[in-house]
Amino acid sequence: MTKERGASIIFLIIGLYGLVLCRQLPLGDWRDPGPGFLPCGLSILLIASGVLWLIRGKKGGEGKKKEKIIWRDAGKKLLTPAKILAVTAVFVLLLERTGYLLTSFLYVFIVFFWISRFPLWIALGLALIIGLGSWYFFGGILGVPLPRWNLFNF
Amino acid sequence: MDVLNNLLDGFQIALSYKNIYLCLLGCIWGTMVGVLPGIGPLAGITLLIPATFGLGPTGGIIMLAGIYYGAMYGGSTTSILMNIPGESASVVTCLDGYQMTLKGRGGAALFISAWGSWVGGTLSIVGLMFLTPFLANFATKFGPPEMFAILLIAFILLGSLGRGSFFRTIPMVFLGLLVSTIGMDPFTGTLRFTHGVTELYDGIDFIPVAMGAFGVSEILISTEESLVRITHRVRLRELLPTREELRASWGPIFRGSGLGFLLGLLPGSAHVLASFVSYLTEKRLAQKPEEFGTGRIEGVAGPETANNAASGSAMIPFLGLGIPTGPAPAVMMIALMIHGVRPGPLFISEHAQIFWALIASMYIGNVILVILNLPLVSLFVNMLRVPFRILFPIILLICLVGTYSVNASTTDLIVLLCFGVFGYVFRKLQYDVASFILAMILGPMMEMTFRQSLMRSAGSFSIFWGSSISLVLMVASGLLLLWNIYRELRPTKATWESALKEGG
Repeated sequence: MTKERGASIIFLIIGLYGLVLCRQLPLGDWRDPGPGFLPCGLSILLIASGVLWLIRGKKGGEGKKKEKIIWRDAGKKLLTPAKILAVTAVFVLLLERTGYLLTSFLYVFIVFFWISRFPLWIALGLALIIGLGSWYFFGGILGVPLPRWNLFNF
Repeated sequence: MDVLNNLLDGFQIALSYKNIYLCLLGCIWGTMVGVLPGIGPLAGITLLIPATFGLGPTGGIIMLAGIYYGAMYGGSTTSILMNIPGESASVVTCLDGYQMTLKGRGGAALFISAWGSWVGGTLSIVGLMFLTPFLANFATKFGPPEMFAILLIAFILLGSLGRGSFFRTIPMVFLGLLVSTIGMDPFTGTLRFTHGVTELYDGIDFIPVAMGAFGVSEILISTEESLVRITHRVRLRELLPTREELRASWGPIFRGSGLGFLLGLLPGSAHVLASFVSYLTEKRLAQKPEEFGTGRIEGVAGPETANNAASGSAMIPFLGLGIPTGPAPAVMMIALMIHGVRPGPLFISEHAQIFWALIASMYIGNVILVILNLPLVSLFVNMLRVPFRILFPIILLICLVGTYSVNASTTDLIVLLCFGVFGYVFRKLQYDVASFILAMILGPMMEMTFRQSLMRSAGSFSIFWGSSISLVLMVASGLLLLWNIYRELRPTKATWESALKEGG
């Protein structure tokens, strides 16, 4: 699997998805293009791009070796980003339920302890400083409307 | 004379205590976000949008513009001292800037970078001052066919100048245009691709997409390898360059100013392109090009001047035509629209005070930035001494809060995460995410002008070459498209990136 083929598969999937959904939208005519006109055209162009890159990726050439996806390396490299995404997803889900202060503290603590590998007490201390500091800076100084913990809605 | 009188009026407004304070705040914040890798002017501007609500449009745009060009100054600091570009336009500064640091000349590199940035920024503002009113006057003759033609050529240029080949950039443009159609059709009210999700009725907000695709993906990529970074110290007395270094810098600074100004008018990552082109130019003009990459001052002076000049001229299409050519100008446009001010051909005539106050504040801001980035550079450098494994969660928190601050919506955060993954995947596949973002911003305008044109002409495409302006633009688009196809089909294709790798 080369990078070009990987991208072409993504373009093909999105293009086909767009084309299938566009069938439900009125296309209109040249005098009065409908809401489905541009999405349909773009979906077809994306499918064409996907096919083009599938063919080019298959042909390969001088760059083929360089652009191949090496899955073993990819797996190792993906670990930290995957952890970050997982923790951030939990932050997003909890934010309006538990409020910014608690959620940011937990988020920063987990990132420092689990991902950055700080000792427990350092992670706790940093999380407290950053959680409180960010709450004051964003909410107090910049006036960003941060969610509060609403016990009864949880 | 009119221009000078207007500029004097602008200085009267910009030199108020409030506006100087806001300019200073913007410059400091911009330098900080430029210095911090992973958080660029986009996140920096977005985060302060809520803070502008009580300021009025003049104060708000002065502060936000300060962040934008301040980030260009700050981005070079990490490039020179850590070999990590703080901002995408500072990538090429790493090549020689970091080598100068290893030789103990990091201070001189910082000095020349700040000095060149000031010259490039100031000359660019002069161009902005004269060209924007002219362009705005010209643009009042534009109708939907002319606007469509401009957008078409902008997209083709985006494909030509984006990272990688034309056929690699164009699918990202199509994808961006497709994503921009999500939501309610502006003509008929029909919902498109919303799947019954009410938060998508108004479309996908640009800010979480851009923050995710740039900010979050940058952190994800940066954390793949080690979380440890090495930072070099710079003492104040080491800041001054030698006479030879100063003499060698003048040419690149003036060439970089011109190149950066012209390239900044183009859509896409113009300031990135400007810095690359400037580097290649200096390398070609050098007597010993083989020394580039080993710590040549020209390799710092030219690119840093060019990227600052480009950030100034990038404001011209944004203010004069209402077409932002990059993500940061797009966010500034959103911020102005929140205040009820719409950039475009009528902006200068209807809001002359705001425009000239902005121009005047940019002159003031450039002076502030030279002071911040020279004698006070150690303050910002100390930020870099914070270990990256402490910095990156803070940067992520800034991205999250910045996104949440716009609409106080968790849906925006979900969009941020999704596009963080999107940006990560496509950057790993070496596709240009900036093209996707710009297409998403300009897509609604392009669709509207296209459909309006066809409605006017009762379905006849001849409306697109009916006027001389649209005819010239359409012909230019066609020629550019053919040239790009030819370039792709040739056995060896030279992009500006491959030219840099091959040594020009």
